[in-house]
Amino acid sequence: MSLKISGLSKKYGDHPALWKVSAEIEDGEFVCILGPSGCGKTTLLRLVGGFEQPTEGFIYAGDVLYSSQEECIPVERRDLGMVFQSFALWPNMTVRQHAEFPLRQKKYARMDAAEKQKLIDRTLESVGLAALSGRYPDELSGGQKQRVALARAIITKPKILLMDEPLSALDAELKISMRKEIQDIHRMTGATILYVTHDQSEALAMADRIMILKDGEVEQIGTPKEIYLHPRTPFAATFVGKYNLFRGTWDSDRFYEESSRVCFPGQTVGPELKKLGLYPVRPDQLQIEKQGNGIPGKIRNRQYCGREIHYSVESAGNLITVYAPIQTSYDLNESVVLIKKEEIG
Amino acid sequence: MKKRNLMLQTVGCVAVAFLFLVPLWRLVLMSFTQHDGSFSFGNYTALLQEPRTLRAIGNTVVISLAATALSTVLGVLFAFVVAYLNIRRKKLLELLVLAPFIIPSYVITISWTSALAGNGEVNRLLRLLHLGPVNLYSLGGIIFILGICNIPLVYLTTVNMLRKIPRDLEWAARASGCGQWETLLRINLRQAAPAIIGGSVLAFLSCIDNFSVPAFLGIPASIPVLSTYIYEKAISFGSQAFSMASALAVMLSVVAIAGSLGISAFSQKEKQADSIRADFSERILLKDKTRRWVEWISIGVFAVIDLVPLLTMTAASFQDLYGQSFSLKNFSLQNYRFLFTNSGISSAVGNSLMLSLVTCAVCILVGTAAAYQKLHGSGPAVRLLEACSSLTYAIPGIVLALAMIFHWSAIPGVYGSIQILLVSYVTRYLILQVKGSSAAMLSVHPSLEEAAHVSGSGNARMWKRILIPLLFRQTISSSLLIFVSALTEMTLSSILASAGTKTIGLSVFNLQQSGDYNLAYAFSVLIVLLIICGYALVQYVCREPVKKEKCERRRNAGLLRLYPLKASQKMEESAL
Repeated sequence: MSLKISGLSKKYGDHPALWKVSAEIEDGEFVCILGPSGCGKTTLLRLVGGFEQPTEGFIYAGDVLYSSQEECIPVERRDLGMVFQSFALWPNMTVRQHAEFPLRQKKYARMDAAEKQKLIDRTLESVGLAALSGRYPDELSGGQKQRVALARAIITKPKILLMDEPLSALDAELKISMRKEIQDIHRMTGATILYVTHDQSEALAMADRIMILKDGEVEQIGTPKEIYLHPRTPFAATFVGKYNLFRGTWDSDRFYEESSRVCFPGQTVGPELKKLGLYPVRPDQLQIEKQGNGIPGKIRNRQYCGREIHYSVESAGNLITVYAPIQTSYDLNESVVLIKKEEIG
Repeated sequence: MKKRNLMLQTVGCVAVAFLFLVPLWRLVLMSFTQHDGSFSFGNYTALLQEPRTLRAIGNTVVISLAATALSTVLGVLFAFVVAYLNIRRKKLLELLVLAPFIIPSYVITISWTSALAGNGEVNRLLRLLHLGPVNLYSLGGIIFILGICNIPLVYLTTVNMLRKIPRDLEWAARASGCGQWETLLRINLRQAAPAIIGGSVLAFLSCIDNFSVPAFLGIPASIPVLSTYIYEKAISFGSQAFSMASALAVMLSVVAIAGSLGISAFSQKEKQADSIRADFSERILLKDKTRRWVEWISIGVFAVIDLVPLLTMTAASFQDLYGQSFSLKNFSLQNYRFLFTNSGISSAVGNSLMLSLVTCAVCILVGTAAAYQKLHGSGPAVRLLEACSSLTYAIPGIVLALAMIFHWSAIPGVYGSIQILLVSYVTRYLILQVKGSSAAMLSVHPSLEEAAHVSGSGNARMWKRILIPLLFRQTISSSLLIFVSALTEMTLSSILASAGTKTIGLSVFNLQQSGDYNLAYAFSVLIVLLIICGYALVQYVCREPVKKEKCERRRNAGLLRLYPLKASQKMEESAL
């Protein structure tokens, strides 16, 4: 189901947690809401879920008005499933009872028992829990708990799936493997997914589109590639792509760095960054040389990371991060110059 | 060093056994003693053949079950209202719900007898409404008073649990198609069930334990329950009086201890949600109009339960004749004049004050030392102390009183003097301080002590500069509970006090028994004032040093932060 969010605001007292957020989400799209903690991403999800009512703006699902200042369809009458960071499993119910719970609604009163059991079996199988159906939540590992939550959320085949940092409570390795399962579920159900996370790599890996929120306002909406390669705002650049921002002056499409007057080509840099006199460069786009025509600096720190070495280079009072190949070897306090690599492709 | 420690532990264990276990053992022995000195089940069979015993057991069960049902329904209902609804004046409501917790149950009973006096205003009003005059001196009356006395026990255990249920659990149910009220029933109530059951078992135990309510209302109406029946047996004459009383006491203790073990078994089996954070947000938003109705009805119910009887009691305490309706013409200070001039009364007040202060002091010293030992890799003595003092708190007061008589009458110079009361109070209340001090100690990280040592402080300086300032507030809070309980104590003193060592509780009991109702009212008014002053004083002493960000929160917690401590302690105690 498509979702249309327009001019959505939510205030707690005088403090706006969300400010005039608008977005159109297509049917079956996987949208990640990305931002640091306290940016309003969970508030946005709760508004879509109907757990809270907006102070301004509308949410439409298809043609149906879900939320506005006056209207708020109760959660249970919205066609959605939800997965929580805390798993939110009921400690007194088994895995099977969790999957069965949503089928107790009136809608399913007509469905005969055998058919229900079959549906439960199939759903538990699809998340790989068929063998654990008699277990209680405290007998499950973190990954298994989240699979139970997924089974419970998808068993009624809701048109919208809301996921509130579902992988944050899992350990690093499990996170990566659960990503694939969530993608599988997306393909299998075809549901529209709203996925809240503060983990950039998660968002880049899974989303069709990413919405970056900061202080309750939208910074940028776009595909992972657009956001990674062409960030529009300083926040989007530093938060997602870990960009270094150089200060300088713009002359139409050419950028002159302020300390060295080195010139960078900038056809693809967005107008907002241009207006601020900033030029974004990712750590992997820079190269360290002993001398040459580049931005001068001093090595202040190095961290050996296996695949590469991360250098912090101080230049004109700012620390610039550079990811250099492991063959390079520069000492602390060594004077170097930074050169932007030629763009390939 | 090791040898010395071993000796200390042995001495400790022997002392604990002598003070806590031997009395109970003597009680059990006594219950099997026949008048020729031999041991047999004779006392039990004789008792069970008496119809009055069977009536007492029956009454105890009926009264306790019905009163528990009443406290559970009201306690859970108001816990729900306070925990989840968006009503205002929650603090006032909570204060009213919890008031029966600090006011001793005999004062509540007396206040109600004044409100429902035979031809008092309330009964006249009820007669006009064709609800007939209500007689409090009846089975129903005892059930009602015990019911309202125990609402706080159920309320406190439930309200904390309700707040601890993560909202995610509700939201997951809502997203699975459950309506708001259905979610409440199927998720929240189900999750809170262990706490509700725990709270009602506590209420049940407290009903069994209670002596003053059935003593005030049941003895005049000759409705025996086990606790008053034990009292009657114990003060009656006859060679077998004490043996019979102890046999009854053993039966009562078996019920109480079985109940306590029941809770702990149950609470261990139950699966609990892992969130332990209390969530104070309003979960159910009522429309303005409904909200206001709920708010005022709730406050109204408790105003009637708490305040109306207190008001009628206060009014009646200014009348010189019992039973006349209040009028300014009959206004008199005669009752208060009597209370302030009678030497018996003033010595009782003096005794109680002295007893409760000394009890507090002893408990603070022993309890804090025990808590310190316990948290620093204790020996067996401390563990034994904790277990035994839990036991003397879990058994009904009347049973402990009997055990104390048997034990201390064997040691010259204790029984019959005020010492026996002091020893009994310490035996009864020590566990509260051990738990309170342990909780306080837990909040002081061991590294603080180590830091003090590393910075060159000796033991004495470390206690003076680090531990005592940090522990002071919480320790005083828990000793306040002991102070108020000891000050208004009635069950133990009704059996243990002698002519010169009467206490406040016993004096009120005697006034009521001899028919001096207006004097009893006046005395109860003074007790309530005394308690309020005590709490205010401790609030003042324990007030948090003013810090800007904490100020607000502290004010919200206010007076009430003392109660949950006691409830949870009591629950642990009963759960042994």
